[in-house]
Amino acid sequence: MLEAVNLTKAYRRHAVKVPVLNGLDLEVRTGEFLSVVGASGSGKSTLLHLLGTLDAPDSGSVKLDGRRIDDLPARERDALRNRTFGYIFQFYHLLPELNVVDNVLMPAYIGHSTFNWWKSRAQWRKRAHELLNRVGLSHRLTHRPRELSGGEMQRTAIARALLMNPRVLLADEPTGNLDAVSGGDIVKLLRDINRDEGVTIVMVTHNLEIVHATDRVVRMVGGVVTDDTPGAPKQLPFQPLMLAAV
Amino acid sequence: MYKLLLCLRYLRTRYLAFICIVSVMLGVATLIVVNAVMSGFSTKLKDRLHGVLSDMVVDTDRTNGFEVVREARRPLTPEEQKQNPVIPGSRRAYSLGTRFTPDAREDYYVDGDEHVTVRTLTPEGIVREITSGPAGQYIEAITPTIDTFAVLQYRDRGAVVAKPVRLVGVEPTGRTKVGGFSEYLVRQKDAATPSFDLTPEAVQRYEWNLMQFRHEHGADAPPPPKLPVPDPLAPPPPNMQLDVGIERPKLTGAILGYGLAHVRYKDANDQLLEEQVLRPGDNVVLTTAGGDDLKPVWGTFLVTDYLRTEMSEYDSSFVYVPLDQLQRIRGMVGRATSFQLKLKDYQRDKEAVSKELRKVFPTREVMIRTWEDLQGPLLSAIDVERSILNILLFMIVGVAGFSILAIFIMIVSEKYRDIGIMKSLGASSWGVMQIFVGYGLLLGTVGAGLGTALGLWITHNINAIETFISRQTGTAVFPRDIYYFKEIPTNVDPLTVVLVTVGAILIAVLFSLLPAWRAARLHPVRALRFE
Repeated sequence: MLEAVNLTKAYRRHAVKVPVLNGLDLEVRTGEFLSVVGASGSGKSTLLHLLGTLDAPDSGSVKLDGRRIDDLPARERDALRNRTFGYIFQFYHLLPELNVVDNVLMPAYIGHSTFNWWKSRAQWRKRAHELLNRVGLSHRLTHRPRELSGGEMQRTAIARALLMNPRVLLADEPTGNLDAVSGGDIVKLLRDINRDEGVTIVMVTHNLEIVHATDRVVRMVGGVVTDDTPGAPKQLPFQPLMLAAV
Repeated sequence: MYKLLLCLRYLRTRYLAFICIVSVMLGVATLIVVNAVMSGFSTKLKDRLHGVLSDMVVDTDRTNGFEVVREARRPLTPEEQKQNPVIPGSRRAYSLGTRFTPDAREDYYVDGDEHVTVRTLTPEGIVREITSGPAGQYIEAITPTIDTFAVLQYRDRGAVVAKPVRLVGVEPTGRTKVGGFSEYLVRQKDAATPSFDLTPEAVQRYEWNLMQFRHEHGADAPPPPKLPVPDPLAPPPPNMQLDVGIERPKLTGAILGYGLAHVRYKDANDQLLEEQVLRPGDNVVLTTAGGDDLKPVWGTFLVTDYLRTEMSEYDSSFVYVPLDQLQRIRGMVGRATSFQLKLKDYQRDKEAVSKELRKVFPTREVMIRTWEDLQGPLLSAIDVERSILNILLFMIVGVAGFSILAIFIMIVSEKYRDIGIMKSLGASSWGVMQIFVGYGLLLGTVGAGLGTALGLWITHNINAIETFISRQTGTAVFPRDIYYFKEIPTNVDPLTVVLVTVGAILIAVLFSLLPAWRAARLHPVRALRFE
C-alpha cells in the first residue's frame, strides 16, 4: 500500500551534510500496525515525514497504492495530508487557542471552504463528538489544551487524526511523553482503531513494551532497515534484538 | 474556514494584537481629528474670505473708476445737413449738446457727414449693459461700488487716532443682494434693506458729543492753536484750495469694521479685555484721495453700525459709506470703481460669465475676477498646508504599520509550531499566508474602525475637550483672540474619513505581507521541531 523505495535524505548542519536515510526500502501493507524502532538519529521520524509527504526525499520515491506521491504538486500533497494520512506527534501539537472540539475539527476546517463548511458542519461536529466519545473525552469538549493531561491531549490528537477517515495513521512516538499507564492506554486505543476500522498505522517508538501490540516491527540502523520482523508480539527471539537496538 | 477561525481566535487571545489595534486606532483618530479641524478652519476661512467678497468682481485700477464709452455713428439726414451747413474752407464739425439719462451722459456731434452719439455710461448704464447681454442670464444681482484706500481719524480720550482703512462706497440694499454684507452687520444683521441711517440712540450720542465739545471749547470756539514753533520734520502744507470743487458732505452714517471700533488688549493679569472706542453716533473723519487728481479729500461720518465677519483682516480694515457720498467726496459722481456680482450658480457659471464679461469689457484696465481669484494665493496656501499636513500625519499610520510589522514578526515566531501543525494537517502555504494577511486585515479593520469612532467622537466634542484641557492646565489651548472664532471649527468630510480608514487598513495589510510570506515559506518539519 505505502512503499518507500531507495529513500535517501540528508540534512545540513552548519554546512556539514548529515545523512539520515541511506537508500531505505520499506513496504507498509494495507491494514497492518507497523512499528518502527531504532536508536536516536537512525532516521525513524524522517522516514515518517517522508511517508506522509511532510518532507521530500533527496532521492528515491514514496508510493501510495503504486503511485508515486513524493513528487506530486503541493496542492495534491496537501490534500493527501488532509484526507489520506493522519498524524500523531509525541508532543501532541494541539493548537492552544482552540478548544478540544475545534482542535479535532481542524482537518475538516482545513479541508473545506467556508461555504462548504457551513453546509456540512453539523455532520462534522457529530463525527468529532463520536470520536471524542470513543477516546473517552466527551467530558472535555470545551476545554483548552492547557487544561488537559498529557494522555488526554494525545487522545485529542488521535481523534483529530481520525476525523477525516484517513487510510494511514502516522504516529511519531505517541507514548514518548506519557507515563506507562497512559502510554498503554494510547497503544490499546491505536490497536483497537487498527483492528476495528482497518486503518493502517505506522508508529515510530522507543518503547519496546508497546511494540508487542503491533503486527510487525521494523528496526532501523544508520538510515536503513536492518530487521523486519512480522508478528512481533508472538516472536520471542525479537525481544533481545530490540533491546540491543535501543 | 480555518483561516477565519484562527484570525478571530488570534485576535481575541493575543495581547500583542491589542497593541496593533491601539496603534492603528490612535493613528486613524489623529488623522480624522486633524483633518476635521484643518478642514473646519479651511472651510470657515474660505467662508470668511468669500464673506465680504461677492462671487465675481469687475473692477478697474483707474482711480476715477470705469469710463465705458460707446460711440454710435450714422449718416446725417438731409435735414441735419441743412441744419449743420459746411463752412467753406473747413470740415463740418458741430457739437449738438449733451443729455443726461440715468444710464449715460450722451454727447451729440456732427463729424463730417456723420452724426455721432458718444454715450459715457453711468454705473447704472453699465449694470444695464451687463444684465441685458448674454451674461445677464447667469447673474442674480449686481451692484456698483467704489473701493479705495483711506485714513480713518477719530478722537480717543482727547487724542487723535488715525488708522489706514479700506473705504468702500456701497448702495446698501444692492450690496445686500449680492451677499456678504448685511449678514455681517451687528445691528442690522440679516436685514433685507440695511441703511446708513442713524438710530435715535446714535443721534442722541452725536448730540451729546456736540454738547460736550461746546462745553469744552465754547459755542464759537476757535480752532486749536498751532504749535508755537514749526516742526522742521512736518511735511509742507498741501498746495491746494481745500474747499474748491468739493461739496461738503452732510453728516451721514458709516459702517465700521468691528476691529476698528473695538480695541482688544490684555491687562496686567493677562486677561483679554475688549473696549469699545467708537460707539454709534461718534463721529469719524475719513480722508481719501480725489478720483481725478489724487488730492486729499475727506468727509465726516457718524458711526451707525459695525461689520463683524470674524476675519480680523476685514474687521480691522473695512469701512462702508454710502456710495453717493463717496462719489461726491471723491469728485466722481456717476462713476464706480467696481461692480459686485452674485451668480445664480457660481460653480457652474463662473467661466461662462467671465467669458461674456470680457466681451463687454475687452480692455486691459478692466479686471474680471472671481472671489477665488482675488484670494487665490491664500486659498492655495491653505490647500498646500493641508496636503503637507496630511502627508506628515499619514506617517503616523506608517509608524503604526511598522509596529504591526514588528508585532507580526513576533506573532509568526510564536506560531511556528502552529504553522507546522496546520501544514501537517493539510493546510497549504497560501492558506497559511492568508491567515496572517487576514489577521492584518482584521487588526487594521478593527483598529481603523475604533479609530474612526474615536476620531469622530473627539471631533464632535472637541470644544468641550479643549475647555477641559484649558481648565486643567490653566493655558488656553485655542486662544480665541487669534482667530476671532468663538469655537474650534470642524468639518468632517465623509470622503476623507473613508480614505483615512481604508488607507489605514491597507497599510495594516501591507505590513502584514512580509511576516505572512515568511510564515507561508516555513518548512513544516522545521516548524514542528521549533522549540
